[in-house]
Amino acid sequence: MRLEKCWFCSSTVYPGHGIQFVRNDAKIFRFCRSKCHKNFKMKRNPRKVKWTKAYRRVHGKDMTQDSTFEFERKRNRPERYDRNLAENVLKAIPKIDKIRVTREERHHKNRMKGKKEKLQREAVKELEQSISLVKAPSVLQQDPSLTLPKIKVKVSQKQSEENHAMEE
Amino acid sequence: MATRLQFENCCEVGVFSKLTNAYCLVAIGGSENFYSSFEAELADVIPVIKTSISGIRTVGRLCVGNKNGLLLPHTTTDQELQHLRNSLPDQVLVQRIDERLTALGNCIACNDHVALTHIDLDKETEDMIADVLKVEVFRQTIASNIIVGSYCTFSNRGGLVHPHTSIEELEELSTLLDVPLVAGTVNRGSELLAAGMTVNDWIAFCGSDTTATELSVIESIFKLREVQPGVTMHEMRKSLFDSFL
Repeated sequence: MRLEKCWFCSSTVYPGHGIQFVRNDAKIFRFCRSKCHKNFKMKRNPRKVKWTKAYRRVHGKDMTQDSTFEFERKRNRPERYDRNLAENVLKAIPKIDKIRVTREERHHKNRMKGKKEKLQREAVKELEQSISLVKAPSVLQQDPSLTLPKIKVKVSQKQSEENHAMEE
Repeated sequence: MATRLQFENCCEVGVFSKLTNAYCLVAIGGSENFYSSFEAELADVIPVIKTSISGIRTVGRLCVGNKNGLLLPHTTTDQELQHLRNSLPDQVLVQRIDERLTALGNCIACNDHVALTHIDLDKETEDMIADVLKVEVFRQTIASNIIVGSYCTFSNRGGLVHPHTSIEELEELSTLLDVPLVAGTVNRGSELLAAGMTVNDWIAFCGSDTTATELSVIESIFKLREVQPGVTMHEMRKSLFDSFL
């Protein structure tokens, strides 16, 4: 049993899921679900379909080159079974996963760097440009602040009477 | 010395087993008879390993190997690969290759020094063969059959080819491979020699349908018989070859 990758979206295909298509040139295409299979039949290129891993890699949204990916490569030359080695590998797998996750988070953070400042600048510009939608220009001349004035509303005493009525 | 046997009532012994100078791969059968025939001859000399390749029992036709290495198709599962690596001695390199033609035993015929391959084999596969098996690779046809792995079988000492091979081609192949060759059949006239029998430098296993004549040809060309002094052996060989060719 081997956990393969979906050709279209690159998610893992678990046993009992998906479809395998063998083309006439003996190339095997594995799909995790009918969504990917149908997209393939429509001849869509996964590199152009937004939700696939291939798109995310090509457009720099996800990490592409990292040493943690080397561990998951398919190997064609096996090594003799060694119990200690197997034990060490089993211990190392969760550690490597953790490292990969932290690196991906770091990549994401790097990508999102400067977003807060950008949003701030855009908000300031919007206020300057579109304040006329909220405050009339004549009022703006009198009071040049870009914020709306605070309006104070007095609360009446009638509310206590209404509550008594509700409670009954 | 050639032995006659069957795998589950089928005489195609070369399909279900792979015999080299360093190891022997055997298919997993319902009964242990096949395995025990190999074990009886080979147990203390070379490891005899029961296996399947990608779940298929026709191991002889799917893999190719010699004493230096073993090549497996890409469909081999990881567990089988690990099993083979654990059972084989360390000098034998086990390698899985990505190749469109997955029945490597039908596409490649080899001994410890030379290999004949299918014409349509990839360049990378050819390099891999030269690298892992440490052999010289030649792309050839045998009697205009491209699946060379089925229609000929040769060891380091001799070889048997398709019966319809012409004499010129026989001589050409003989010089290419550096071993004496003869055109013959196995299993009562079957042209698929590699499928019908399996051979290494000192022993051969044939299907039980193999006639006595075919068996003696095999024993003489692969030099399996103990050397007998005298003319009688020579005369016998000449008469056999005459009746055959």
